[in-house]
Amino acid sequence: MAQAVAHAPAHGTNTGIENRKLLMWLFLGSECLFFGSLIATYMVFKFDVIARGVGPFPHDVMINGVLHHGILDIPTTSASTFVLLMSSLTMVFAVYGAQHARPTLMKLSLLATIVLGLVFLGFQVYEFVTFVHEGLTLSTNLFGATFFLLTGFHGTHVGVGVLYLISMLAASMRRNGLGADAGAHVEIAGLYWHFVDIVWIVIFPLLYLMP
Amino acid sequence: MAHQTQHAAVAQHGLTPRQYIMLGVALTVITVIELAASYIPALTPVLVPILLALTAIKFAAVVGYFMHLRFEDGLLAKVFTSSLILAILILVALAALFWGDYAPGVRAARGDAPASAPAAPKAH
Amino acid sequence: MATAAGTLAHHAESGVWSWLTTVDHKRIGVLYGITAFSFFIWGGVQALLIRTQLAVPNGEVIPATLYNQLFTMHALTMIFLAVMPLGASFSNFLTPLMIGARDVAFPRLNALSFWVFAGGAVILTSSFFFEAPGAGWFNYVPLAGRTYSPGQGIDFYVIGLTVLGLSSLMAALNFAVTIMNMRAPGMTMMRLPVFIWMVLIISFLLILALPPLTVALIELLFDRNYGTNFFNPAEGGDPILWQHLFWIFGHPEVYVLILPAMGIVSEVLPVFSRKPLFGYSAIVFAGMAIAFLGWAVWSHHMFTTGMGAVPRTIFAANTMLIAVPTGVKIFNWLGTMYGGSLRFNTAMSFSVAFIALFTIGGISGVMHASPPVDTQQQDTYFIIAHLHYVLVGGAVTGIFSGIFYWFPKMTGRLLDERLGMTQFWLWFIGVNMTFFPMHYLGLVGMPRRIYTYDNDLGWGFWNMFETVGAFVIAASVLLFVINFFRTMQQEPTASDNPWDAPTLEWATSSPPPEHDFDVIPVVRARDPLWYNRDHNIQAEQPTGEHIHLPPPSYYPLLLAVGVSVLAVGPISHIAFTALGAVIAVYGIWGWALEPTE
Repeated sequence: MAQAVAHAPAHGTNTGIENRKLLMWLFLGSECLFFGSLIATYMVFKFDVIARGVGPFPHDVMINGVLHHGILDIPTTSASTFVLLMSSLTMVFAVYGAQHARPTLMKLSLLATIVLGLVFLGFQVYEFVTFVHEGLTLSTNLFGATFFLLTGFHGTHVGVGVLYLISMLAASMRRNGLGADAGAHVEIAGLYWHFVDIVWIVIFPLLYLMP
Repeated sequence: MAHQTQHAAVAQHGLTPRQYIMLGVALTVITVIELAASYIPALTPVLVPILLALTAIKFAAVVGYFMHLRFEDGLLAKVFTSSLILAILILVALAALFWGDYAPGVRAARGDAPASAPAAPKAH
Repeated sequence: MATAAGTLAHHAESGVWSWLTTVDHKRIGVLYGITAFSFFIWGGVQALLIRTQLAVPNGEVIPATLYNQLFTMHALTMIFLAVMPLGASFSNFLTPLMIGARDVAFPRLNALSFWVFAGGAVILTSSFFFEAPGAGWFNYVPLAGRTYSPGQGIDFYVIGLTVLGLSSLMAALNFAVTIMNMRAPGMTMMRLPVFIWMVLIISFLLILALPPLTVALIELLFDRNYGTNFFNPAEGGDPILWQHLFWIFGHPEVYVLILPAMGIVSEVLPVFSRKPLFGYSAIVFAGMAIAFLGWAVWSHHMFTTGMGAVPRTIFAANTMLIAVPTGVKIFNWLGTMYGGSLRFNTAMSFSVAFIALFTIGGISGVMHASPPVDTQQQDTYFIIAHLHYVLVGGAVTGIFSGIFYWFPKMTGRLLDERLGMTQFWLWFIGVNMTFFPMHYLGLVGMPRRIYTYDNDLGWGFWNMFETVGAFVIAASVLLFVINFFRTMQQEPTASDNPWDAPTLEWATSSPPPEHDFDVIPVVRARDPLWYNRDHNIQAEQPTGEHIHLPPPSYYPLLLAVGVSVLAVGPISHIAFTALGAVIAVYGIWGWALEPTE
C-alpha cells in the first residue's frame, strides 16, 4: 500500500503489524458482535417457540402428550460441517503455499477451498428447500425466523468468501500472479475464511446439537 | 516501533504442513465426539457444558493455529479477544434479561401470563 | 512556509473531478465538513418548524403527520448527518496531521467512507419526497411495524441507517489502524493528543456497537417486508428486543457524539490557558472508562419496560458510575484553566461554555439514572432538555470551538473575532433560553413528541420562550455562515501557528501542503512544539527527496454508488439490488487491480 512509500524510509508501522492485517482483525472483532447479536436473537426466543407450541420445532419435543419430530437433519448437517472444516484446512495450505513461494500448491488449495465452500452452500440450499417443503418458513414461527436469518447470514458470508477466493485465484493466474505481496494477500483472505468457519463451529452445536 | 524484518519472521512462523493435517484430524475427531455426545441419552444433563467446552477448544484451535493468532503480536489477540468477550457478555446479558422476569414468552411458558401479554407492563 | 517545490508528485488540480476522485484526507475532511454543516442547517430548519408549531397552545402551523416526520428526521439528521460527520470532518482533517503522518492508513477506503455516507444521507433525506419516517429516531416497534406504519417511511429509515452504519464502520476501522500504526517517530501512545485518543476510542465504539444496530435493522426490515415476527408479540416475537438491540448500539453512540467535542476542548483549553493540559493520563483513562462502562448501561433507556429489580439495580448503578470519569474530566479542564493566563477569544469561549453546558446536561443525566426518578421523567421534555444540553450545549458547542480554533489551519484564514464573539453570546443565550425551560415543562408533565397542547395546561409561556430561543440560536448560526463567507473572501494570511499551539498540525503550513509535512517530525515530548520552542530545536530542512502520494481514484465513488443502488433494492425493485451488486463487484475488482504506486 501507499503508506509504506509515503512515509520516510525505514519506517514501518508502529505496532509492527501490517495495516491490512490489523484492519482485518478489527473487522472480525466487529463481526463477532454481528453474529453475537444474531445468536442472541436465536437464544432469546429458543424456549418461547416450544412454549407457544406452533411447529415445526428444531428437535423432537413432546407437547401435551404428542411427539413432534424435530425438523433439523443432523446427519446431513454433520456432513456439511465436515466439509466446511476441511475447507479451513485447504485454506491453510493456500496460505502456506503463498508464503513459501509454492504457487501451484497455493492455486490448487484455493481451488479446493472454493469447491468445498460451494459444496457447503449446496448443502445449505438443499436444507432450506427441504425445510420450506416441510412447512418451515420465515413466518411460521420464531424458530423459522431466527434459523433462516442466522444461517442465511452465515451462508451469505460463505458466499462472499467464495467470491473473494475466486477473485484471488483469477488474479493469481495472471503473468505476475499476486505479485510480491502474495503471502499477505492470501493470508488476509484466509483470516476471513477461517472466521466464517469458526462462526459455524459455534452455530453447529448451538443450533443443531443442543436440546 | 517497527520491526519489519522481525515481523516477517513471525509471519513465517507457524505449524508444519504435517501438523496442520494433524490439527485438521483432531478437529474432525472433536466434531464427531460432539455429535456422539448429543446422541447418548445418559449425557443429556451435562450435554450443554460438554458442547460448550468442545466448541471452545475447536474455536481456540482454529483461531490460534489456522489463523496464526498464537504467533502474532499480542495486540491482535487482545483486540480480537476483547471483542469476542464483549459479544459473549452481551449475549449472556440479553438471554438473562429475556429468560428472567419480564419476557412475556417465558412468563407464558411458566403459566404466569398469556404469551400475547402487553410487552411493557408499566404498573408494577 | 514554502513547500519544497518540484519534490512532489502533484495531482492537486482543482475542479469537480479532482474532488470526486480525491483520496487526500484533508479534502475528504472538507467534504465531510461542508456536507455535514449543510445538514446541520437543514436539521435546524426542521427544529424551527417544530418549535413554531409548539409556540402557542393548540397550534396548527404544520399538519400532525408532517410534525411526526419532522421530529424523527430532525433527530436523524442532527445525529447521523450533522454531528457524527462533523466529528468525522475533524478526525479526517486532523488525525494524520496530529500524529505526524502523510495520510491515513487506507486513503481510498477513507474516500469510500465519505461517498457511502453521502449515499446514505441522500437515501434518508430523499424519504421526504416519498414518505419520511415518523416513529421517532429510536423507532420503537410496534409503532414502527407494518401495522402502525404501513407506508415506506420506516423502510427508508432502515436502509438509510444501514448504509450510514457501513460508512461509519469503514471510517472507524481506518482510523483505528491509522492511529495505532501510523504515528511519527517518538509519538508514543501516551504522547498522543487527547483529541486523537478520543478518535481512537470512538473508532472502537463504532466497530463494536454498529453490528447490533445492523442486526436490529435487518430484523425490522424482515418483519416489515418478508413476513418474520421478531418484534410481533401476537406471533411469539417481542418488541422489547428491538429496544435492547437499538440501545446496545444507542448508548455507545451517545459517546460517539460527545467524545470528539471532549477531545476538541482538551486541545483548545491548554492553548488559550498557556498551560499544558492538567492530568493528561487521567483524561485519557477517564475516556477509556467512559467507553468501557458505556457498554453496561444501555437498559437505562428502558427502565419503564418492566425489567426485574436486579437488572434495574445493575444498570442504574453502572449509569451513576459513569458520572465519576466524566467528573474527572470536568475537573481536569478546570484545573487546566486554573492559574493559566487565559485568552478569551471565540474558540476559548465556546470551550468554556462547553464545560458549563455539558455539566448541566450531565447532572440531569445522573438524575434519571435512578429508576424511580426516571419513571417520572421518561418521555417528557425533561429528557429533551437533558439530551439537548449534552448534544447542543455539549457536542455542537465543542464543534464550534474546534471550527474557530482550526479554521486557520484548514483554510489559512482566521475567522472574524467580533462576529465570532457576537455569535458566541447569541449561541450561549439561545441554547439556555431554548433548553433550560424544558426541564420545568418536563417535570410538570409535558410529554415529548406531542403535536400540540391545550391552553389550560399553562405551558404556553415557556413554550413561546423556547421558540424565541430557537430563533436566537438560528441567528447565531446565520452569523457564523456570514462570518465563514466573509472570511473566505479574504487573502489567506494566517501564520503556521497563530495560537502558539503545541500539537504537530501547527508545525506545517496553513493550509498544509498535500503531503502534510516536508519532513516527518520527530516527537520528543507530549506537547512537541512547546518542547521544541523551549529547547530551541529547529525544524529539519527538507532533503528534496521524492514524496510519493497515493494517486486519485474514482473507484471509491463508483463503489459507493454501487452500494447505495444495491441498498435501495428492498424499498424499490429487486433489480436495483442486482444492478448495484454488479457495479459494486466491478468497483471492487477495479479497486483491487488499480496501481497505487
